[in-house]
Amino acid sequence: MSAHPNGYIKPELMACCGAREIKNHHVVIVGTGFPAMSANIAKHTHAPDAILMQESGVVDARPKRPALSVGDPCLNPGAAMVGNLLDIMGMFLQAGWVDVGFLSGSQVDKFGNINTTAIGDYEHPKTRLPGSGGANPIGSLAKKTLIIALHDKRRLAERVDFITTPGYIDGNGARERWGLPANTGPECIITNKAILRFDKTTGEACLESYHPGHSIDEIRENTPWDLKILENVHETEPPTERELEVIRKILDPHRMISIYEKRGYV
Amino acid sequence: MTKVMTTKEAISQFVNDNDFLFIGGYVCRPPFAAIHEIIRQGKKNLTITRSNAADDFDMLIGAGLVRRFIGTFLSLGVYGLGRCFRRSIEKGIPHKIEVEEYTNLSLPMMLMAGSFGMPFVPVRDMVGTDLMNIKSFMGENKFKLIDSPFDGKPTLLVPALNPDVAIIHVQQADKFGNAQMWGIGGDCKVGANAAKKVIVSCERIVDRDVIGKDPSRTIVPSFKVVAVVEEPFGAHPGYTPGFYDTDFGFGYQYQQASNTVEGFHAFLKEWVYDIPDRKAYTQHYIQKFGYGPFKKLEAAFDYSFPVSYAY
Repeated sequence: MSAHPNGYIKPELMACCGAREIKNHHVVIVGTGFPAMSANIAKHTHAPDAILMQESGVVDARPKRPALSVGDPCLNPGAAMVGNLLDIMGMFLQAGWVDVGFLSGSQVDKFGNINTTAIGDYEHPKTRLPGSGGANPIGSLAKKTLIIALHDKRRLAERVDFITTPGYIDGNGARERWGLPANTGPECIITNKAILRFDKTTGEACLESYHPGHSIDEIRENTPWDLKILENVHETEPPTERELEVIRKILDPHRMISIYEKRGYV
Repeated sequence: MTKVMTTKEAISQFVNDNDFLFIGGYVCRPPFAAIHEIIRQGKKNLTITRSNAADDFDMLIGAGLVRRFIGTFLSLGVYGLGRCFRRSIEKGIPHKIEVEEYTNLSLPMMLMAGSFGMPFVPVRDMVGTDLMNIKSFMGENKFKLIDSPFDGKPTLLVPALNPDVAIIHVQQADKFGNAQMWGIGGDCKVGANAAKKVIVSCERIVDRDVIGKDPSRTIVPSFKVVAVVEEPFGAHPGYTPGFYDTDFGFGYQYQQASNTVEGFHAFLKEWVYDIPDRKAYTQHYIQKFGYGPFKKLEAAFDYSFPVSYAY
């Protein structure tokens, strides 16, 4: 358990950070784990009219157990729509209807580029990862992409080994030059230590807030690029009583989110 | 004309070495009975495709039957990275497969283009990333980046795909091949319709009149279908909405087994090579784990309101 004042654990804080990025009426593509938790916290607090969808074809699911994949059986009964991959990725995402997408990556760089393809050389990888799946189109086409990552010098990188999913690519307008739609791209990286928000002009992730218990110096030491500090840098607001109540009583009574502590989200 | 046959007959007649296969089942309804039969019959040098591949593709790769993979993603879901996929790429065990990498937008769009008879299709993803810098067996035909003839903006074109054979698993079909599915669709409809031939595996064969009571659910009409196979429990360890749940426990066993080459081959021997068909597979499952765990996977009944097409 945690040493934090009101007893929250780090994954709960991170899920709340994600939830706060979602506005009412947003259309959100979620996966499993953090993204689903964040989006549902938002729905139960400040964004009751947000619409969640899974790339497999599901809109506004009402699962009776936590979904373990984006195609989980529990997403079918109760949904507003169950269609197919192209309904979501084509008709909604590519056509510009998706406000928020959530992604995580084995490697994320300062421009928000994400690697889920291979660690090391592509032809002779140290670790072959799953590949893009829906990540590249979500990062290319969602208006705001929220990135979840562990904050250390292995997961964060000056430059990822392989750009599977575009962030701001090389920065400074590169997305537009490649023909990606205007006003899309990563919004922030939510780590276990901080929130790094992207400067839309330079495309660089900068320190916006540090989670309670972490210092700016510690965060800079664990960031592999020269991390810029935003002027209004501040401590991240801990989970509110209401947010914790939603997580623990409604969304996750079995505390499945605590598995993220074992994965290093502490 | 009835197209009903066994999975063994369907795979033997309609799947050849060197074929390009679309295998349906984006998490939902993987045609596992047919996949096991392909492994038993040792069909070689296959090219396989689907968005979000999983344990079924991992198994075909580990069995050494895959030469090429037109893919977007391959993992074991909650159980992490595909062990056979990793061994193939990282260590060349049993051999290194060739991978052409797309995404869950571009790949289903390519299948859609194939199903619509279009030569290629513009997509708005992939640009600016290393997915453009790596080209495998499709070479320069993986994509073309052009200036749009309409507004001059950079536009990515990807080619249509037309697999030789599509293999899908659905809830029900009639003996002619009219195939009906409900629940999460993935890229099943475009993949099946892009293919030159379709093998339909289903939970139950129903009368043509049953199809006609709710014809909006049909995703492939009979004239595209070459074989219909009734395979109850045919998607296990995957799920079929309204029939049975995902078997997460079995998924874990596959992960544990496929951690090593020896474990993987022992798994294949137990669940594929020593098993003649899906009926025997189901019997083996019940003998090994008990009737309780088998029954526990069975879906509850929660019928929708009937629909009426009357006029």
